[in-house]
Amino acid sequence: MNSRFSSEDLEYIVSLTLSIAVSLIMGALIMIANGRSPMVGYGALIRGAFGGKYSIANTLAKTVPLALTGLATAISFRSGIFNIGGEGQLYLGAFAAAYVGITFTALPKGLGMLLAILAGALVGGLYAYVPGFLKVKYKIDEVITTIMLNTVAVLFTSYLVNYPFAPAAGKLNATEIISEQFHLSRLIRLSTLNTSIFFMGFIALFMYYLMEKTSAGYDFKLVGQNSLFARFGGIDDRKQMLIAMVISGSLCGLAGVFEVLGVHYRFLQHISPGYAWDGMLVALIVKNNPIGVMIMSIFFGALKTGSIAMENATSIPSELVLVIQSIIILFIAGERGFKDKFKEWNLRRRVGQKAGERNA
Amino acid sequence: MLKQILNLTLIQHTIRTATPLILAALGGLLTEHAGMLNIGMEGIILLGSFFGVLGSYFFGSSLAGVLLAGLVGLIVGLIFAIFVIDLKSDEFIVGIAINIFAGGLTVFLLRSIFGVKGAFSSPNIIPLPRLNLPGISSIPFLDIIFNNHTVFIYISWIFVIMTYIYLYKTPYGIWLRAAGEYPEALETAGVSFRRMKYIASIACGILCGFAGSHLSLGYLTLFTENMSANRGFIALAAIIFGRANPIKTFGAALMFGFFDALGIRLQVVGVPSQFTQMIPYVATIVALFILTRRQLTKRKRDSEKQFK
Repeated sequence: MNSRFSSEDLEYIVSLTLSIAVSLIMGALIMIANGRSPMVGYGALIRGAFGGKYSIANTLAKTVPLALTGLATAISFRSGIFNIGGEGQLYLGAFAAAYVGITFTALPKGLGMLLAILAGALVGGLYAYVPGFLKVKYKIDEVITTIMLNTVAVLFTSYLVNYPFAPAAGKLNATEIISEQFHLSRLIRLSTLNTSIFFMGFIALFMYYLMEKTSAGYDFKLVGQNSLFARFGGIDDRKQMLIAMVISGSLCGLAGVFEVLGVHYRFLQHISPGYAWDGMLVALIVKNNPIGVMIMSIFFGALKTGSIAMENATSIPSELVLVIQSIIILFIAGERGFKDKFKEWNLRRRVGQKAGERNA
Repeated sequence: MLKQILNLTLIQHTIRTATPLILAALGGLLTEHAGMLNIGMEGIILLGSFFGVLGSYFFGSSLAGVLLAGLVGLIVGLIFAIFVIDLKSDEFIVGIAINIFAGGLTVFLLRSIFGVKGAFSSPNIIPLPRLNLPGISSIPFLDIIFNNHTVFIYISWIFVIMTYIYLYKTPYGIWLRAAGEYPEALETAGVSFRRMKYIASIACGILCGFAGSHLSLGYLTLFTENMSANRGFIALAAIIFGRANPIKTFGAALMFGFFDALGIRLQVVGVPSQFTQMIPYVATIVALFILTRRQLTKRKRDSEKQFK
């Protein structure tokens, strides 16, 4: 496969643009139904997301967890193993980083940071290994197990922060603040944008290279498309799936790590407002393409940041963007079906026309 | 302390907390039999909770709330069906979209209609009436366990039996199961599998809507953000645990309801409730594990038999 756009890709980009446009129009209709002007609403949203250094910084800050969980989804889904346990892996990864940050306070800056990052990636990866192993060894549906494990992780970390790791000052639904040398530096004043954006960029490049430019990446794709065929071709499909799952879990763990080291400086009981679910949508919308994931993450990050500015300026509740996002994903989910129906309808119409001509 | 935790009201609370799970699980098992998995149940329950409150508040009747919740469930079930059956979308992507849609829409409407954040309660929300069965109110045991419940509790039990009869004792039930397992055979027999799948999906939506309205109009009369609190996923767990059999699923839902009720009590006396809350999820994974192990060994045994 070459890197140029095929006509199929182009067709997909057209339907994607169309889906987003229709969803935004539906969002506008909802605004009108609420007696607000969509021009004012979307204007505030765009300004809030891109109008100035501070806004852009906030958009990019939101992009980090979305891109990481998006890439996590992309690698697993492409390999035909469906990790929808990202939220749980994120929570455990975040907690692991916080644990390192409040325990190993004597470590020098670089080493400590590295340890926190590795711990989070490892814990996330291990937590994904469990459903991955159950899938390849016992054929237990990983969709179900990962859904269940999400809540287990959220409950478990909630126990940890409220009992064994409750701060000395009393229960705060959070751990103590991590030691100073574990804090990633902030880049723009008042914004939470921090150096994790560079880590994310590096990880994204690596994932792009892995998925698109290496034979391992090709194997993942092959396994995802037809695992039996891949097996006959000499690929250990189970091992590939398991590896994809572990990479996916590590990336989600990292998303959690950076929330702790860069944004909150501690683990919070509700540290993620569903980043992994959003990341999954990001990946699904672009059919697990790593470049697409990066572009869509910025788009979703902008929607998230802009919606809050929109709320402040026009009092349109920011949750409107969740509605818009879910409509986009619904259209994308039905994309092929819509196209088939359209072609069918078109064909029937033409056949009907021809029949009409003949009769006349 | 133990007496404080384990008493008759615990059983009463178990029945209470299990009811939305039972309703949603019954709906979900219909779609499961029809060969679809709707993880959007969580979102439909949430929508049901919100529209239950909305209907009760504006029409001044709890029945109106329940009906509105059911109607919204029906619409979402229909949308799920259109996308999954006719547009051949991935069922779990549509499910995720429903969950996110529900989370966004309920909060959006909460704020734009009622102008509040977080939670909405008002004396104008009419709760579901409580029933007292006349015969048993004089018997202390049964009085605590079976009385002072909403009508939905008794209805959900009747639904369990009806679903069982529907699935295993009527031709429709056979068609429904065939729609999931052998759609071609069903078509050959002159029954549209599409129709059976639509029926299952819509019924699931309505039941999840009811489950939601029971949450917000049953014992508490309020709506809070994310009120469904994973009940859709626990219902899913109950279906898997009960292997989509209505009676067994009912049992699983009761069990999960028990652990939920127990967890709340433990929390009151200062014991962490997180581990009791985990039980449905862990139990489901263990159940899946045992189930597949058993199937694998059975298959192995069968294949060994062939070579004897």
